[in-house]
Amino acid sequence: MSRPPLAYLAASVVMLAGLAGLIRGAVPQSAAAPSPSSSSGGGIVVGGAYVRQPANGINAAAYFTVYNTSGQADQLQSVQAGAGAQTMLHQDEPNGTMKALPAGVTVPAHGKVVLTPGKLHVMIEQLYGPLKPGQSVNLELSFAHAGTVLVVAPVIAILAPAPTGAAAPTPSATVSK
Amino acid sequence: MSRRGLRLLPVAALLAVTGLAAGCGHSASPTSRASSQPSELTDHTSSVYQGVGETPPLPRPQFSLTDQNGAAYNFGQQTRGKPTLLYFGYTHCPDVCPTTLADISQALAAVPAKVRQATQVVFVTTDVKRDTPGVLKAYLAQFDTGLPNRFIGLTGSQAQVDAAQVAAHVALAEDGGQTHSASVLLYGSDNYARVSYLQSTGEAGQIAHDLPLIAG
Repeated sequence: MSRPPLAYLAASVVMLAGLAGLIRGAVPQSAAAPSPSSSSGGGIVVGGAYVRQPANGINAAAYFTVYNTSGQADQLQSVQAGAGAQTMLHQDEPNGTMKALPAGVTVPAHGKVVLTPGKLHVMIEQLYGPLKPGQSVNLELSFAHAGTVLVVAPVIAILAPAPTGAAAPTPSATVSK
Repeated sequence: MSRRGLRLLPVAALLAVTGLAAGCGHSASPTSRASSQPSELTDHTSSVYQGVGETPPLPRPQFSLTDQNGAAYNFGQQTRGKPTLLYFGYTHCPDVCPTTLADISQALAAVPAKVRQATQVVFVTTDVKRDTPGVLKAYLAQFDTGLPNRFIGLTGSQAQVDAAQVAAHVALAEDGGQTHSASVLLYGSDNYARVSYLQSTGEAGQIAHDLPLIAG
């Protein structure tokens, strides 16, 4: 599995778009902008982000893969989402339990953490409005060392296959309209 | 249920059954870095099924609940002889439940029409307070789009839902239904479940692979 290319140009576009969305308070932003597959900062690269359109209209889960390209372990401490008032990192146990991870997750040096259904996700609650394919959710990831990394997660259709996060096709390629 | 299902690349892996061997040796992470842990996979790699083998097989359970239209539903009688996917979950679940239902829907879309037409999907809520028949109806209608059989959504009293879980041999849900079995049970036309599924990126492909095998 090769490391994803550092799409610096694309990333800066995302960061601007992301900032705009967060400052607006908000709402899932239209994905008119090119939807890049990764964004980065401080040795941290985030790829494969997506949010499945919620079938319950109440909460949603965001998934992505965090790559640490530096020689120092980092900690993903918290995530904020532009789509809902409350956000929490959750780990799934095999018996279906969800465990909140208030301290976040460690991303090993030269390693990665994959958020994927049944393992880890960011739960977004108190949604500001409906989330539909074609929209994106702005995520602000806070790392102990790398600082803040902004990520744009496209919303995939309720029945779309889940991108695997790592070697997966970019989420934008799986959006069905 | 602690064993995890095979983790494969997504549905495309269906086409590359030989790729299975490559996928088997790893746990969640597709790359085996120094941190990778011993695989949890055990004997079922030699099984004909791609899901988690149930040994001994589990008989199709008998329980009665209320369906999404408010009508009485006798699971044992009304699904008898049909390939049936049985799943316990709740609509407020953000993560595993909607992904699992999407996986089931994708699997049904991928199998031969005859198998698709024979198969019944049944979702039993573990959150009886919030998941009324109407809530279940609106929720499930988003997952059975385009399929010949509507997904059945069942609810009832707490005691009835508990009894259904006991009858199906799944772990009893706790915390108002939010801690629930993550297992999807697949009953064959012979009324036994020999295989079940846990959420993984390969789940849709596993179900699509196994369904025609048990539908005969």
